[in-house]
Amino acid sequence: MFEPQPMTKVIIAGSKDYMNIAIDAMYKHNVVHIADFVDEDEDFKIGKPHESITKLSERTVSLRSLASYLSIKGKEDIPNKYPESAIIDTIDAKTEQLDVEVTQVTDRISEIESKIKDVKDKKRLLEPLKSFNLPLDLYTGYQSLAVFVGTLKGIPNISDITTDYELETAPYGRGSVISLFVPREFEDDVQKRLQEQGFATLPLPKGEGIPKDIIVDLDAQLTELQSEKQKSEEDLADLRKKHIEYILASDEYLSIETQKAEAPLRFATTKNAFIVEGWVPTKDLGLIQSDVDGATNGHVMVSVDRSEGVDVEKVPVALKNPLPARPLEVLIRAFSIPKYNEIDPTKLMTFMYPALFGLMLGDVGYGLIVIALGLLVSRRIKSEGMRDLAIIGVYAGVFSVIFGFIFNEFFGVEIFGHKGFLTHVEYYPMLPRLDNVLTLLIATFIIGILMLTLGYMLGFVNEYKQHGLKHAVFAKLSWVMMLWGGFLVIALILPPLTTGSSIQLSAGLVGGLVVMIVGFILVIMGEGAIGIAELPSLLSNVLSYSRLISIGVSSAGIALAVNRLSDALFFSKGGIFVIFGVLLLIVGHGINTVLGILDSGLQALRLHYVEFFTKFYRGGGIEYKPFGFERKFTEEK
Amino acid sequence: MVDPIGAGLVALAAAIAVSTTGIAAALGEQVIGSAAIGVMAEDEGFFGRGLVMTVIPESIVIFGLVVALILLFVTLPSIG
Repeated sequence: MFEPQPMTKVIIAGSKDYMNIAIDAMYKHNVVHIADFVDEDEDFKIGKPHESITKLSERTVSLRSLASYLSIKGKEDIPNKYPESAIIDTIDAKTEQLDVEVTQVTDRISEIESKIKDVKDKKRLLEPLKSFNLPLDLYTGYQSLAVFVGTLKGIPNISDITTDYELETAPYGRGSVISLFVPREFEDDVQKRLQEQGFATLPLPKGEGIPKDIIVDLDAQLTELQSEKQKSEEDLADLRKKHIEYILASDEYLSIETQKAEAPLRFATTKNAFIVEGWVPTKDLGLIQSDVDGATNGHVMVSVDRSEGVDVEKVPVALKNPLPARPLEVLIRAFSIPKYNEIDPTKLMTFMYPALFGLMLGDVGYGLIVIALGLLVSRRIKSEGMRDLAIIGVYAGVFSVIFGFIFNEFFGVEIFGHKGFLTHVEYYPMLPRLDNVLTLLIATFIIGILMLTLGYMLGFVNEYKQHGLKHAVFAKLSWVMMLWGGFLVIALILPPLTTGSSIQLSAGLVGGLVVMIVGFILVIMGEGAIGIAELPSLLSNVLSYSRLISIGVSSAGIALAVNRLSDALFFSKGGIFVIFGVLLLIVGHGINTVLGILDSGLQALRLHYVEFFTKFYRGGGIEYKPFGFERKFTEEK
Repeated sequence: MVDPIGAGLVALAAAIAVSTTGIAAALGEQVIGSAAIGVMAEDEGFFGRGLVMTVIPESIVIFGLVVALILLFVTLPSIG
């Protein structure tokens, strides 16, 4: 029930002449997980890729560059799959022709862009001079005159140097822009004076005409260039639309062909034969056997390797879970994929993860929001990982609603019961969290003990399968005994301790102590003195489950605070204040929902990863990756 | 009759329990968080595990919260 997909080890061997046919047959079914051949020796060499590989890479490079020009990323949905046969014959000619078409447009665009840049540069240079009515060519080319064109702070006063000058000024930025003509002999003095005021020379563009008119002219050019650019971009978009299916399909086709051509790199080959080691899900064994045999006329054999001593560590793992549990695999993968002979906890998590989440969030209103968000995301978002998380969110939301009814919370408000709106509705169990902290705290410890026990039991099964009964008793049963013995002892001595009465030596207490001590001895026998160091972790693991209630109470507390605040500040005043009250409610509960989802989600995950999984789960398995391809854009004919 | 000074001290004790453990958790998460971001720059697939590792020190503040809850909901009513 908790095992992954059963796998069978196969050896595929045959004549090299039939290797490519066998590769095609294997590829088509997408079930053989090839174990790469690495140990080369005198007899067996790693195979050589098919000779078409160079050509395939060249095609891939040119196609990908086209795709990047057209910004095609491969995530697009296309309505129709492209028949593969239509690609094979025409791919070279068509890619070349497309390349010409696209390059024409992109070249045109970059040409226009460089023109636009030139025009903008020129305009930027002319901008400061636009209030001067002197044609551009009259600023340069004088023998007896020095010309200063530039910016500076304030307005220069050079009347003490010479009165024979021509000055025009205009405000510019924080200072002003000037054009100043003085006789050559005063050039040095004037320059010094100007520099005191922070003079910076403006470079003058070449050209004729009055700057203002040139700018008008440049603006017209700019508009024209931009409309040209837009037109070219539309051309490019048209090209994209027209060829996207072809490009995506060819890219996929090339990826498939490349994978096939590179496959021999994973094979062992001799001069005339090839051998592939791999794993096939047992249910697909017959299919691949008959198909490879049929395609190669019996020249390639798929035989089952029944040799003893198969290393379990090397068996690829394909998780096998019913559809409703499959989204949870994402959480297992994030931790680590199980080994082939390990228990796959996905099914357990399908129930336990949402239950812990719901226990923490525990509010009908927030639960409904989580369900709605989950449904929305799972419909809208295409990313598989996000969709899985969204579906987990829906499960978690359902549990939040269930626990919301138990805790009688709707956005922090009590609905039912004598304190609620619907006073006549009473049901059982109804445990408002803020009034039952101690009860619920004890309940969380019990949940913790049960979950840890389950973890140890699964660990027992794993150890039993891997190392035998003795080891399982020492490593796992011992801890369960300490857990329950300790629990019994604490449960019996804590109440008298808190009330101050004397401790009764009951049968339960003695039994608990004995079980605990036997467990302790077993741990020492199994793990040595180092086992003592692990002891406190047992207590802290159980205490760790208190987060179930503390996070819940904080979330309920925040909800209550939001409600009371909006009531005291706004609703009690009435009138226009009601709007502010509603706003505060929306913002407050919105923030609390986000906090609740994040915190409950992460803490529930942590309780699984850190407290639960460590009791039985190691992971580190090899993920089953069959040799083949899920076609998205092409179809075989 | 509620002893106001006693009740105030209990409330203060609860505040200390939450705030000091909060600071401690923050210090822990600071180190792990920046390391996790560093790993994520290399390998984006680490996001899930990084996030979980980052919240591990959160246990400290949760224990503080439990202490505070017991003080507020169990101890405080009993002295009233």
